[in-house]
Amino acid sequence: MTQKSSGFFNWINARLPIVNTFERHLSKHPVPKKVNFWYLFGALASVVLIIQIVSGIWLMFGYENTEEGAFASIEYIMRDIEYGWVIRYMHTTGASMFFAVVYLHMFRGLLYGSYHKPRELVWVFGMTIYLVMMAEGFLGYVLPYGQMSYWGAQVIISLFGAIPYIGESLEIWVRGDYYISGATISRFFALHVVALPLILIALVFMHLVALHEVGAGNPEGVDIEKHLDEDGVPLDSVPFFPYKVLNALVAIGIFGIVFSIIMFFFPEGGGYMLELANFEEANPLSTPEHIAPVWYYSPYYAMLRAVPDKLGGLVVMGAAIAILFVVPWLDRSKAASIRYKGILSKIAMTIFIISWLMLAWLGTVPVTASRTTLSIIGTIIYFAFFLLMPIYTSIEKTRPVPERL
Amino acid sequence: MKKFLLVAFLLTSYQEAFAAGGAPCGDYGECDSFKAELNNMESLQLGALTFINHCYGCHSLKYSRWGRIAKDLDIPEGIFNDNLVFGANVKLGDRMTGSMKPAVSETWFGIAPPDLTLVTRLHGSDWVYTYLRAFYEDSSKPYGVNNMVYPGAAMPNVLAMLQGQQILSCKDVPIIASNGGVRRDEMGDDITEEKCGYLKTIQGSGALSVQEFDEVIYNLVNFMTYIGEPSRSDRERMGWYAILFFVVFTALAYLLFREYQKDYH
Amino acid sequence: MEEKITTRRKVLIGMTSAVGAVGASFAVVPFIASWNPSAKAKAVGGPVKVDVSKIQVGQKIQVSWRKQPVFVIRHSKEALAGLSKVESKLDDPSSLKIDEPYRDVNPTRSTSNEYTVLAGVCTHLGCAPKYYPEMESQPWDESWVGGFFCPCHGSMFDIVGRVFKGVPAPTNLKVPPHYFDGSILTIGEERGTA
Repeated sequence: MTQKSSGFFNWINARLPIVNTFERHLSKHPVPKKVNFWYLFGALASVVLIIQIVSGIWLMFGYENTEEGAFASIEYIMRDIEYGWVIRYMHTTGASMFFAVVYLHMFRGLLYGSYHKPRELVWVFGMTIYLVMMAEGFLGYVLPYGQMSYWGAQVIISLFGAIPYIGESLEIWVRGDYYISGATISRFFALHVVALPLILIALVFMHLVALHEVGAGNPEGVDIEKHLDEDGVPLDSVPFFPYKVLNALVAIGIFGIVFSIIMFFFPEGGGYMLELANFEEANPLSTPEHIAPVWYYSPYYAMLRAVPDKLGGLVVMGAAIAILFVVPWLDRSKAASIRYKGILSKIAMTIFIISWLMLAWLGTVPVTASRTTLSIIGTIIYFAFFLLMPIYTSIEKTRPVPERL
Repeated sequence: MKKFLLVAFLLTSYQEAFAAGGAPCGDYGECDSFKAELNNMESLQLGALTFINHCYGCHSLKYSRWGRIAKDLDIPEGIFNDNLVFGANVKLGDRMTGSMKPAVSETWFGIAPPDLTLVTRLHGSDWVYTYLRAFYEDSSKPYGVNNMVYPGAAMPNVLAMLQGQQILSCKDVPIIASNGGVRRDEMGDDITEEKCGYLKTIQGSGALSVQEFDEVIYNLVNFMTYIGEPSRSDRERMGWYAILFFVVFTALAYLLFREYQKDYH
Repeated sequence: MEEKITTRRKVLIGMTSAVGAVGASFAVVPFIASWNPSAKAKAVGGPVKVDVSKIQVGQKIQVSWRKQPVFVIRHSKEALAGLSKVESKLDDPSSLKIDEPYRDVNPTRSTSNEYTVLAGVCTHLGCAPKYYPEMESQPWDESWVGGFFCPCHGSMFDIVGRVFKGVPAPTNLKVPPHYFDGSILTIGEERGTA
């Protein structure tokens, strides 16, 4: 760097600490030197967020947020706008990939106890992001105003009606009308495009600030802050740039392969990402044979259907998400990482994974008596995994966690 | 209470659908498989001609524009205008909004013929291919035909003069035991039973043979698959380049990563 | 730790960056191209056809093309013969300063020797000039021999749209691409573009 340019940056830095911030949070930020691929999904999540924002803005150039024009405007984007189809598929593929990446990112948290002290707040912000993402996905799906957009909205909004006393008024208030109409589309559009993305960006920022304050975890559950060099930098760390950036670059490359395969060859995702019923314009007088949400809501959908009572189903579904928030206080283990936890945690984790995948499958298929039984079992296992955690994590024997990476 | 019933109905509605003839292609069972050839210009052009001549009278393609078809299917504009464009003041940039007014068609058929731009994406090309070949004589219906794939369809068999008469007939089929084996008598011949509900074309009653008719329908559904997503062949072509790029990029990024990993590993 | 920038590292960084840059440039294409006029814009902005046989001699009609007024004037032989008389008042009688699609074909500035086709947009600030074909003294020109007068800031053009000297408008009225098929005039494209 020449005298001139460093002078320029120093002038700016004295007034706006960009150089300090850049070094502290990016180039020189210490990260654990040994992590595995599970630790790269956070970076991928931010990449997908950017993809969604950019493709979303571009979709707005052609989308018409009215009852009459919405469905036709999607086909307008697909056919009449040059490369409009690229932007549309990028956004729909991105939505599914966002959830896939975030689920894997959350799973990493469970696997390696990333929520352990002092990272509880990182986890809580993360769960809030997840909640906002689910709302964002639902709002976005209504916008094309196909049959599934309409009837999916109908089902979800009617869940509000389950709330005692205020339920029915709440439904009308959410819709802005006595039935789903242009009023609903307009407000869902504004929420999906502006309100929730702003909240999401703010939450992601907080999530990262909270993370950087305490530093990232690692698969061993080792506290790298315990052993510092003479400059106060953890011995078992490497600076973020270039080492973690290069690691992230590989992850982005592999992610790009997967994204491209889906986007260019299977954009409908077998009907699980772009539901086929949505290729028909919304018809309030005709319900599709098979109403199902997109795949990423399916575990909760299975739980909702497992409970015969409407309000009960809503409560169970809400509790399933709410319980995720308090995991940092449910896990009483001395070891953060599954590698050093006892046999009970390992068994519980295995059963939980199988049961969650089973619930995800159950949410996509039609209801039968035996499947309802399985859904009930799956729901019980799901809650047991969390509710029993304080017990099995305290009574089991853990291996001693190493001092160094 | 009403809300609960509505939601309960919605949540379990597919149960009903699968209870009665809920197979992918209705009473026909599994749909006949259809593989699109979106780069076969001749097939697409023939399909376009069939659509305009036989279908466009009732069904619109309202999300599609005339000129796009001419461009994508390599049809020179003069020939396109002479043979494929219907209607007086139609400019090539216009959308294909159809020839029939919904009010009129509702009187004739009880329901307005739906727009078909997205039908292959909604039901699948397999379904449309099977549907168009599954009409059969049924004197109890207003237009004298019914359809195995979509029982009770209000659509008449528009292509009857090409296909000829198709009826539901009975066939002698081998009896399949519960373990999948075929029952045989002492001589080793299959024991058969009569099963009904098979489609049978009456030979010679149509202008085309069964094979020729299937080819006409193939081209037609090929065209309709194209119309459902005109950019699909572009999308699949570009996909290879995108994947190739990411494979190369990943390989290089990996080498670079490992090179720097030596610093601390 | 020391970061040794070895040759191997330089090569790898270079190659990865190059491949990345190529990918990025391809990725950007759909975002830029999607801003081009869509099929709907092109359809609405497509050429317009007019039957000129109904226009009377000396009459000007106006049609809309790409949301702009386009003037079609049918000239009498006398009016065209008198074009040279006004040339001393003109700033650019041969239309050298602008893109002239049918230069030197006809005095009408068109492929037709009877009709003139002009974009009815004053080259000053875009108002629509008014047509005054009569050869009589006008408030803006005592020796007016017919032409266009723009009411916004007083620019003047002759009957084939050529701009006068000393007026706010800098150039002649533009001639849009057009062609005649018998009495059908197509405005907005050259012959044979279809």
